[in-house]
Amino acid sequence: MQEEKIRKTIEKWVKLEKEAKELRRSMADWVFINSQPPRIREALKYYIETGDIRRSCTLAGKSIEEFRELLRKARIPVVV
Amino acid sequence: MLREFAIADTCFLIDWARFRRRDIIFKVFRTVFIPESVIREVVSENTISWISKWLAKRGLSLYTESADELEEARLLVVRTRRIPQIIPVDVPEALCLVVGRKYGYVVLTENRGAIMATEVIEELSNVKVWRSLELLVEAVKSGVLKVDCDNPEKVFREYMEDTLHIFPRNDYSKAVAEVVRICKKRR
Amino acid sequence: MFSKRLKKILSENEEAKRIRASLADWVFINSQPPRIREALKYYIETGDMYVASRIANLTVEEFNEYRIRARIPNVA
Repeated sequence: MQEEKIRKTIEKWVKLEKEAKELRRSMADWVFINSQPPRIREALKYYIETGDIRRSCTLAGKSIEEFRELLRKARIPVVV
Repeated sequence: MLREFAIADTCFLIDWARFRRRDIIFKVFRTVFIPESVIREVVSENTISWISKWLAKRGLSLYTESADELEEARLLVVRTRRIPQIIPVDVPEALCLVVGRKYGYVVLTENRGAIMATEVIEELSNVKVWRSLELLVEAVKSGVLKVDCDNPEKVFREYMEDTLHIFPRNDYSKAVAEVVRICKKRR
Repeated sequence: MFSKRLKKILSENEEAKRIRASLADWVFINSQPPRIREALKYYIETGDMYVASRIANLTVEEFNEYRIRARIPNVA
């Protein structure tokens, strides 16, 4: 019963995440992203792929709020 | 109706603080708690000055986590990493969930892992988790946020514009439908 | 009786706030980085050093040093 509940929840979130990733990818300013230093660039690309802000900001070597500001500059939306 | 208490995490606060109508939160909740671990993560002048202003006015209140709560949060972090395919949470979000469960506070978060945890982990199933989307709908419902019934999407668009935050399509449609329903009721 | 006492406390708080604000070195305060500045302003408003230190991301003792440098009295 619990396993079934987890399975359904995961299915729902996989679908949501697919929609979110597509939005992040299509709205992103790739000129801005590709002009960034390697660490920032890779962190932004990682965020587009995963939507995981905490890992992304660690990769970028930035605080979460600084990274959130970077996402705005790169026109990458948070989709939640 | 003014709800009692909420507890907010970093992901929620750093976006909400940019919203042009951010102060309506204090007409929805009597007090919004901010854990110390969350306040440590805030860096921008805009956010910190809004936080400190409302700490002084008591709309916001600092939450000092106990060692037990922190430990419970760490255990929750580990637990979410043991369930395959579930998005794991980190300590600040986990702490909000722990406190939300303990005291019945609404947890304000934009963290998908935190939302998912309440859907998957039995002990968290009673925790009420709101994103900015749910908060905006509640603000409209309770009348603290005036809605333009000729343009029911306006309040959500303002938020999305100010923060570059997009709501998932289905959830967004439901929220707009709820606003339309409220408008019809008021006419 | 209680409301008389409460009125007295509130009035003392207001007086303390007024004293902190009037004696503070606002040039120093406004020249500080955002977190320190907001924390000092919060302290002037409330007299709450612990929360002010959290806003500043400093220990209470470190914040107290800033309070002294900003010439904000600790009004007991």
